[in-house]
Amino acid sequence: MTRSQPLKRFSRGIATAAVGAAFALGAASAQAEGTLRIAMTAADVPSTTGMPNNGYEGMRFLGYPIFEGLVLWDLSSADTLADIEPGLATSWTQSADDPTKWTFKLRQGVTFHDGSPFNADAAIWNLERYYNTDSPQFEPQGSAITRARNPNVKAYRKIDDFTLEITTDRPLSYFPYLLVYMLYSSPTQWEKVGKDWAEFAKAPAGTGPFKITDVKPRVSVSLDKNASYWDAARVPHVDKMILYPMPEATTRLAALRSGQVDWIEVPPPDAIPSLKSAGYDIVTNSYPHVWPWVFDMSPDSAFADVKVRQAANYCINRDDMVTLLNGVAEPSVGFFKKGTAKFGNPKNAYTYDPAKAKALLAEAGYGPDKPVKSKIMISTSGSGQMLPLPMNEFLQQTLAECNFEIDFEVVEWGTMLVAFRNEPTEATALNVDALNISLVSSDISQMARWFWSGNFTPKGSNWGHWKNEEYDAILAEIQTSTDPSGMEAKIARLNEIVVDEAPWLWIVHDLNPRAMSKDVKGFVSAQSWFQDFTPVTVK
Amino acid sequence: MADQVSAREAIEGPIPTLDPAEALARAREGKGYWKRVWESLKDDKVTIVVAIVLLLIFLAAIFAPLIATHDPSKGSIIGRLKGFGYKDHLLGTDETGRDMFSRLVFGARLSLISGVLPVIFALLIGGSLGIAAGYLRGRVNTVIMRSMDVLYAFPSILLAIAICGILGSGLENTLLALTITFIPPIVRVSETVTVQVRSLDFVDAARTSGASSASIMCRHVLNNVLGQILVYTTSLVSLSIILAAGLSFLGLGVTPPDAEWGLMLNNLRQAIWVNPTIAALPGVAIFITSMSFNLLSDGLRQAMDIRL
Amino acid sequence: MWRFIGRRLLYAVPILLGVSIIIFALVQLAPGDVTDILIPPEAPKEVADILRHKFGLDRPVYEQYFIWLGNLLQGDLGVSIFTNQPVGSELASALSNTLMLAIPAAFLGFTLGAVLGVLAAFFRGGWLDKLFSGIAIAGVSLPHYWVGIVLVAIFAVTLNVLPAQGMGPEDGDVWDSLRHLILPVITLSLIPMGVISRLVRASVLEILSQEFISALSAKGMARRRILFHIVKNAAPPTLAVMGLQFGYLLGGSILVETVYNWPGSGGLMNLAIFRRDVPVLSSTILVLAGIFVAINILVDVLQALIDPRLRR
Repeated sequence: MTRSQPLKRFSRGIATAAVGAAFALGAASAQAEGTLRIAMTAADVPSTTGMPNNGYEGMRFLGYPIFEGLVLWDLSSADTLADIEPGLATSWTQSADDPTKWTFKLRQGVTFHDGSPFNADAAIWNLERYYNTDSPQFEPQGSAITRARNPNVKAYRKIDDFTLEITTDRPLSYFPYLLVYMLYSSPTQWEKVGKDWAEFAKAPAGTGPFKITDVKPRVSVSLDKNASYWDAARVPHVDKMILYPMPEATTRLAALRSGQVDWIEVPPPDAIPSLKSAGYDIVTNSYPHVWPWVFDMSPDSAFADVKVRQAANYCINRDDMVTLLNGVAEPSVGFFKKGTAKFGNPKNAYTYDPAKAKALLAEAGYGPDKPVKSKIMISTSGSGQMLPLPMNEFLQQTLAECNFEIDFEVVEWGTMLVAFRNEPTEATALNVDALNISLVSSDISQMARWFWSGNFTPKGSNWGHWKNEEYDAILAEIQTSTDPSGMEAKIARLNEIVVDEAPWLWIVHDLNPRAMSKDVKGFVSAQSWFQDFTPVTVK
Repeated sequence: MADQVSAREAIEGPIPTLDPAEALARAREGKGYWKRVWESLKDDKVTIVVAIVLLLIFLAAIFAPLIATHDPSKGSIIGRLKGFGYKDHLLGTDETGRDMFSRLVFGARLSLISGVLPVIFALLIGGSLGIAAGYLRGRVNTVIMRSMDVLYAFPSILLAIAICGILGSGLENTLLALTITFIPPIVRVSETVTVQVRSLDFVDAARTSGASSASIMCRHVLNNVLGQILVYTTSLVSLSIILAAGLSFLGLGVTPPDAEWGLMLNNLRQAIWVNPTIAALPGVAIFITSMSFNLLSDGLRQAMDIRL
Repeated sequence: MWRFIGRRLLYAVPILLGVSIIIFALVQLAPGDVTDILIPPEAPKEVADILRHKFGLDRPVYEQYFIWLGNLLQGDLGVSIFTNQPVGSELASALSNTLMLAIPAAFLGFTLGAVLGVLAAFFRGGWLDKLFSGIAIAGVSLPHYWVGIVLVAIFAVTLNVLPAQGMGPEDGDVWDSLRHLILPVITLSLIPMGVISRLVRASVLEILSQEFISALSAKGMARRRILFHIVKNAAPPTLAVMGLQFGYLLGGSILVETVYNWPGSGGLMNLAIFRRDVPVLSSTILVLAGIFVAINILVDVLQALIDPRLRR
């Protein structure tokens, strides 16, 4: 299978060049200037060694702009779900004889920010950094994060200076979708700063369109544009970008309104109308995020019964929830967004239908005299959790109308993560029947992560231990297949199953709101957790 | 550092010191003293007013279900963040459309509980420890006071935040954290006062006349010490209310959907752009209550003539 | 005098040891550890276990404690498990940021408090006394984190005359840095202002009520001499409280730092708690407690210098 997309890249290059030319003609001075100042939601500057912590927000700001993977996300379009494209590898092939062997052709002429070349040696050096605990460059933190997202790398070797072979522990047709989360740092720079990751973090070097010039822990990171970036079409339009960690939504808002930053991530929903009327742009777009309740399937949980799970799905008023959030979310009725090809045609089209919900509950043996009693674990905050408290309080109110009696176990984000990694019957789950944890829904690899029975916790991330024979069979077909045709239909079938069987309470998809001043132009809001900052200009 | 009457307590409130003559007089006068205190209080308009305000707040908290006009946990998304007098909502509605007046009334319960209870617990534990240390002296004193010195090395709110942050949010942990925070100052004040009283003549007189240690402790020491400790403790309540609300404000205190002023303040923080008056209400409630306790403590201190 | 100082210093050692044990024990009670927070939600438990082993978090607690203590004695505050950065340098920058707030806040609060307190005492019972005492009691009764939010809403957003958060760019001019200080310093100075003002008022009243003062003024002693006498007598307790208030500002600035997104030591500690980052948490609290104890010693010594009777 070849996934190289030269044509697409070429056409995009043309388009960007044309726009660039138009700009150049329009105003000669409008080229490459200004400083873009962004307030992130992280509580600290994500780590800068080339494998950021702080989840996908860390990847968004201190991953992809500075460091790159063999495979990258194509973030050029706002209209479709972002897919992968060639990055530091120009093409890749899965061996027909042994589907666990993948060969990558590396991009030539790419240099790290310190001037040293990217080649197979540099790539191997980074793989050793992540997978060989005994290598001198082993980086425990970065390694743990990378291995969490890429658990299947078994071996790797250099074939020639620009060819690399990676072997996986089992056939995995979607392996490139995992590789997109593995980033490459400069070995030469690491040697130069004294073979120390703490030092490297202060003066890092990657291959991306931005380079880090200054790191102030808990205060800011300054980036400069990398004028000699290998993709001329993606050389940043701004000269500088400064990133500030601001965990408090109110603080971010105040910073934007008082002109301290040009762009904030996730403005408080309540402030959106006033921001709009004050002339700020609110940018939202769909992206692969689900805000669900993950149900526990063990026998003592009421949600072990599919009728109860479906009833809950029919009993929530998703439109009112969107109103509560001032329109920064859209209703979720499945893993993928409704109306896309991957959504398929499930039997259950969940709407707000309390009558149907009550009927289903009656079939399951529940009624006004015998309500469904269950406890849900919710967190006070956390990555992607939106506004967990008011949102869950709202669900509690609406579910009460169909004979659900919901209680909450309010915990910190860390406690939630521990619960999510252990079995639902363990003490760590605090006897709850569902977890409210927001999860990624970008591609098939994530579907395997959350729903495959081979991924039961604590080995994998299927927390509720939901199991469905047909689902497992189709997923096995997808994993071992080397033929990309018909893949989308199979993925759509998987979505139909998780909608009808409802292992999750489908609540909303976040729309990832951003607020920016009128001076910020040219931003294309990709349908992704990640964004491209290179086309952005600031007056 | 330990045995000196350092003015450290003045972080929370000034430490009372005892005039021997005064104490003796008080011991002899018995009821007459309290009568005099009452006479003096009666003329203090400010203290009377704040006492009434506090009484009203306490009554509102106790009879919250009778006073509240709405269910404090039910709201309508359509009618969220509305101003005073929206429909039948006297003080408007909060971020999920719940009645602000009812939530403030119910919030008084948890706010008072998390503000007052830790001080009472600390008074019981710290007071006994301090009186024991002051009366028994010797090794007991050393052990108790040295342990308190360790707790004292934490700036007060730091300890509370560390405990709550580590053990997780929730009412129980808030109570525990604040209780531990307030024990050391109460121990120190009780010890100081007890030592002073113990050294007075009449205690010795009682002892030589054959009374047992325990009965001396009960009758004389408690009588003379308790009033002072109580006055000091009242001033701690004000701080405790602010700290408890502060913990909830940091997301370390009471957990939702319970109504508590600090938590309401935190949840309504974002609404300051939509409806600033509503967002400010819990802050006003905290301010009034904490101020009332401070003024009450001042009034009592003056009436009981405890010098600074 | 030197023996007095030596004794105080020596006594600080067991106290700090006790503090370190309490902190270490407390952290063990927390659900989850740093590795759980560091790796993404989708990471299986196994990955967390590898990391846990790597950082010795699977060793017995007492062993971890002694390793930490041993490093501490060699002046090594440890390395953050979350960020891989040395705790020493992070703490140094955080503390200096906190001092940047605490020193002006202390100065403002103490000066204002002392002035208000003295004036209130001299005009006892008058409207000036009522006004100033009211301001003082408001200072200690206001939830200052709430005042912070209100100040930001007024001055940063509505009037847009002052910055809403942060310290401003490092390469910015002095005026710009000062503007960033104004709101947080005012917010932080409320409590010390209230406390000092109440204390000063009470001390001055007490001294004024003493008979020899009346005697002095009856004798026609110059007002300046009387004032000098008052200052000399009111200074020791006020000084003590000021020292402790300053310590409190260092440790207790956490709420104000949260409101203003100020990268100080309170914020560092909050982060460490949230991340269960034991090295950062234990070292930060120990250093803060150490400073607090040191301030106490300093106050004791100063008091002893002013009033030799306290030199026991």
